[in-house]
This record gives sequence, C-alpha cells and structure tokens, in this order.
Amino acid sequence: MSRIHSSVEALRIALAALRANKARGVLTTLGIIIGIVAVVTTMTAANGLANSFRESVSVLGTDVLYVSRTPWIIQGRFFQFRNRPNLKLKDSDKLARQLGSEAAVNPTDDARRPVKYMSEVIDNATVIGTTDKHMLVSSAVPEYGRFLNAHDVAFKRHVCVIGTTMHEQLFGDVDPINKKIKVGRAEFRVIGVMEKQGSAGTFGGPDFDSQIFIPVTTFVREFGGRFRSFDFAVKAPPGTSVEDFEYQVVGEMRKIRRLHPSEDDDFAINKMDSLLDAFNNVMGVVLMVGLAVTGISLFVGGVGVMNIMFVSVTERTHEIGIRKAIGAKRRAILQQFLLESSMICLLGGAIGVALSFGVAAAIDKFVLPASVSLPIVVIALTVSVAVGIISGFIPAWRASRLNPIDALHYE
Amino acid sequence: MTLEVRSVEKIYEMNSVGVHALRGVSFDIAQNEYVAIMGPSGSGKSTLMNIIGCLDVPTKGSYVLDGSDVGTLGEDALAEIRNEKIGFVFQTFNLLGRSDVFHNVELPLIYAGMRPGQRKKLAEEAIEKVGLADRMRHRPNELSGGQRQRVAIARALVNRPTILLADEPTGNLDSATGAEIMQVFDQLHSEGNTIILVTHEDNVAAHAHREIRLFDGLIASDTLQSEAA
Repeated sequence: MSRIHSSVEALRIALAALRANKARGVLTTLGIIIGIVAVVTTMTAANGLANSFRESVSVLGTDVLYVSRTPWIIQGRFFQFRNRPNLKLKDSDKLARQLGSEAAVNPTDDARRPVKYMSEVIDNATVIGTTDKHMLVSSAVPEYGRFLNAHDVAFKRHVCVIGTTMHEQLFGDVDPINKKIKVGRAEFRVIGVMEKQGSAGTFGGPDFDSQIFIPVTTFVREFGGRFRSFDFAVKAPPGTSVEDFEYQVVGEMRKIRRLHPSEDDDFAINKMDSLLDAFNNVMGVVLMVGLAVTGISLFVGGVGVMNIMFVSVTERTHEIGIRKAIGAKRRAILQQFLLESSMICLLGGAIGVALSFGVAAAIDKFVLPASVSLPIVVIALTVSVAVGIISGFIPAWRASRLNPIDALHYE
Repeated sequence: MTLEVRSVEKIYEMNSVGVHALRGVSFDIAQNEYVAIMGPSGSGKSTLMNIIGCLDVPTKGSYVLDGSDVGTLGEDALAEIRNEKIGFVFQTFNLLGRSDVFHNVELPLIYAGMRPGQRKKLAEEAIEKVGLADRMRHRPNELSGGQRQRVAIARALVNRPTILLADEPTGNLDSATGAEIMQVFDQLHSEGNTIILVTHEDNVAAHAHREIRLFDGLIASDTLQSEAA
C-alpha cells in the first residue's frame, strides 16, 4: 500500500520535473531518439524485406523440386561444380518418362536479350524458355490471353507470354495480344500477359513481372542449346511426400547420368527451403548490424541521460534533504529519480517512434513495402524505459544515499 | 518517559581528527513538556537537535524515543521514526517550492503510505489549525514568512508526532511575526503536544517551561522555569 502511494508521488515529481525542464529533456533525449529511430527502422525494414521476399519466393511453391547442375547457394569451393556435365533438354524427357505421367517435369533456361516493340526497347530482358508444364510447377497464371501449350512447344512456335511490367513498358495502353515483338533477332507473337507476381528484385533476385516466356524448343533453336544446362522443375504427384519424391528424383537422375554407386551426384536438388535458409542467414546479419548501430546510439543517449540526472540530483539536493527529514526512505528517493530518468527516455522513445513512422513511410514509398507494427512500437518504448532505468540508476542511487543533514544544509 | 538521552557523545571525524561535538549528555523529557535547548554556537546544540530528530545517531550512549532505542537503527528505520514520531519546524521553513500548501502538508502522510481520502482530511485539518485554510492552493513563494512557517508547523503536526522539534523557528521572521508563531507553539503545547525548541534567543526560550543550556558539548544547566510567557 505504502509503495503504491509513494510511487504515485514519485511519478508526480518526475512529471513536474519534466515539465519544468522541457527543452533540456528533449535535448537530453536526442541520443535516445536516434537510437529508437534506428531500432524501429531496422526492424521495420527487416520485416518489410522478409515479407516481400516471402511473397516473391512463394511463386516457386514449396512442393516443387528444382534439379540443376549446381546448387542455388554455393558454399565453399565453386570448382567442384564447374566440371559437372550439363543437364540436357532430352534428360528432361527421360526424367518425365521415368517418374511417370503423374509427376510434372518442366525444363527451363533463361537468356538475356533485348525485346522490342515498334520504337520501345527493353535492353537485357530475361527471356525464359519453358513449357506448358510451367503452369503446374508455378502459381503464375496469365491475366489475359493464354499461356504456352504443348503444341507451341512441340512445333517450336514463335509465340510468347509477357509479364505485366514488360506489358506496361512496351505497350502502355495498347492491347498486346497478337502483336509482334522482337526478341533478339527473332520475331514473336504475344499470346498472353501474366498476372502480377511481385518482385524479388530488391534482393538481386528475379523480377518475375519483367520476364518473357517462350517455348523452350524455340528458345533452343533461336539462342542455341548445345552448351546450355537446363533446370528441371519437378512437382511430386498428388499424395506423395516431398521427401520421398526427392529420393525418387535423385535415383532417376543418377540413372540418367549413368552414375556408378560409388560416385557422388553430379547434379543438385534445389528447394525453396534452401533459399529461405540463405535469406534468413542474410537477414540475421542485417539485423545484427542494425542492432549494433542501435546499441551504440542508445549507449550514447544513456550516457547523456545519466549526466542530466546527475545535474538533476545536484539541483535538488536540498529537496531530497527535506523529503528525507520528513520520512522519505531511500527507496522512495531512488524511485523518484528512476522514474524521472525513465520518463525522459520514454519521451525520447515516443518522439523516436513518431519520427520512425515518417522514416517507414519514406521506405515504403521509395524502397520496399514497410510499415511500423504495434509489437515494434512496444519493443521500442520498452527499450527506452529500460535505458532510462539503467542510465538513471547510479544518479538515483547516489541521491537515495545522501545524508539527510548534509542534504538539508545544501544550498 | 517520552525521550531518554543517556551519556550521548558525538564525535565527527574531520581530516582524521575527532571533533567532540557532544561529550556525554543525559536528560529525560516527559510527555507534554515544553523545553528550550539553548547555547552559543559550537556548543553542540545542532548536533543534539539532529540526534533528537533522528537525523543522526550518537557515537556513544543511548537515545530512547517512545520506547525504541534509536542509536541502533539503520537509515530507513530512522526515516520511518522521523515520519511517525517527529515533526520538524526549521528556521528556513524548508518547504517544497514547486508544491502548493496542501501538497507540502500532505507529504509526510504520503511517505507514511496513507490513502488519499484520509490524507486529504488530515492535511486540511492541520492547515485549518494554523489558520491557512484559504491558502490551501498557494505556493510558498506566494506566502509571507509567517505564513510559510505556519505551513511548516502544519506539516510537522499532520502525522500527530510524539515530539515537535523546532530549530530557531523565529530566526527568519520579524519580531511581531515571531511572536505570532510562538503563540501557535504555546497553543499546541496547551493541547498536549511535547515541544522542543532549539534557540539562542532568550525571549523565545522564555515560552518554554524548561531550559537546557549546553556549553562545549556538555549540559551547563537544566532548569525548570516559573510559568512565564
């Protein structure tokens, strides 16, 4: 009971002190403000990054395996992968036959070529050779027109399906269906436009909306196939677990590659999981760096608060003497100054959070989708109060230890 | 006995030299006594007041206040005794400048952990008693010296202390106002309070019924006065 009442009194004093020294309070908290802006911005940006990454890789699908010559994420020695034989287009047919008709196998490769319509040119567009199976292994669907079909692939037709960004850039408001565009030196007829996918471009990953899809057979004829290594996207038949299916795919691939049981695989099975793992590693580093910066600025801010609290204690030595003379215990004095320093830091934290909303809005507008979430605000304010308590502790402790007689006579 | 002081000595260490401020002081004070402690500066008056007021503890000897031996207590226990059993009135008033009259008077009750309703009742009673009911929401700097000392007296009274301890209560006041303040003390004494005045002014000491004179850290005289005032 007694604790509650003296806490209320301590809060009263802290707020009064803050009111009396507004400018000083705000200046003191500059370090805290910067620290809090740093922590909120880091966490918000990290969240935004993670969200947009997840959104863009979700196109790949978790139940799809990607058979490639090398792993997506190469750790360590690159040369051990360099001499592996390419994955041929005809290997894809063999794999499809061996896995049975229930499983979907989609061979793809990509190339960079300029794409041109009338006077509009996109340099270096990503051209993807693929098949009608693309629709089975990816969540992408055409927004209008149609996707490539088996006949397009079989007859090496010069048809293409373009992403929304490419649509906007080349055609603007013009309906692109059945328009002729040039990809490299060959002419293609647009038969469809893909739905918007969102972009992984922020990470240097593929921008799915700027791609152009053509039949893989046409791709080989126009851009050459002999030195290419294709990726096979393989989807398990319904009802098969991905783990079991992976064993099966490895087994069939070893047959196709004619590997002796003593030999290692000379191909790699990639999964979205491995991308996610790699991404999480990177995010971990980003967060660590952000938090280190935050830690440093909060430390500097905390030292500032500690200083101002020493000043505050000195200024109010006489008051402390009076309070002690009429019965304030050490804890009451300690609490009074701890509350004052927490309030100063909470004020700084609140200003910091307010500024962070602005920073987050700017990030959202210019970099990537990001918004400050409630848990982040709660964390930021908790951190600022913690800094207040830590940095106010030594001054408050000293105040609580003052000798009442000396304090009373201090002027 | 309300207050028993036995062979109290106080030695201050100053630059590793012991300064003997009190050199063996003994006396008792009973309930509702009205005592003046007098003596020239350097006589140990302030030291004795600090010990009686539980702001300090004796180096040797014992001090028993209201049955509890204060000399053995720690700082927080002393704070509790100051809060419950002692009402201070200082020469320089020692009010909180940023707080109004009501809050100043209420403060000891807050540290005693009393709930707000009861606090309000007791604080208002004490303020009315010193005649400042219409100044409740004023700050000390809006009051005259005499009024400030009345606030201090109200604050000293509010927790119904065992002793009222006044250190030169008229020292910062003109003689007319000083006389008014002394009337307040006389009134409080007649209502049953135990009052200890520390002063070097004879006309202030004259209000008390007993006079303890200190000289050089020892009691020079301890005399009952005929009913003066």
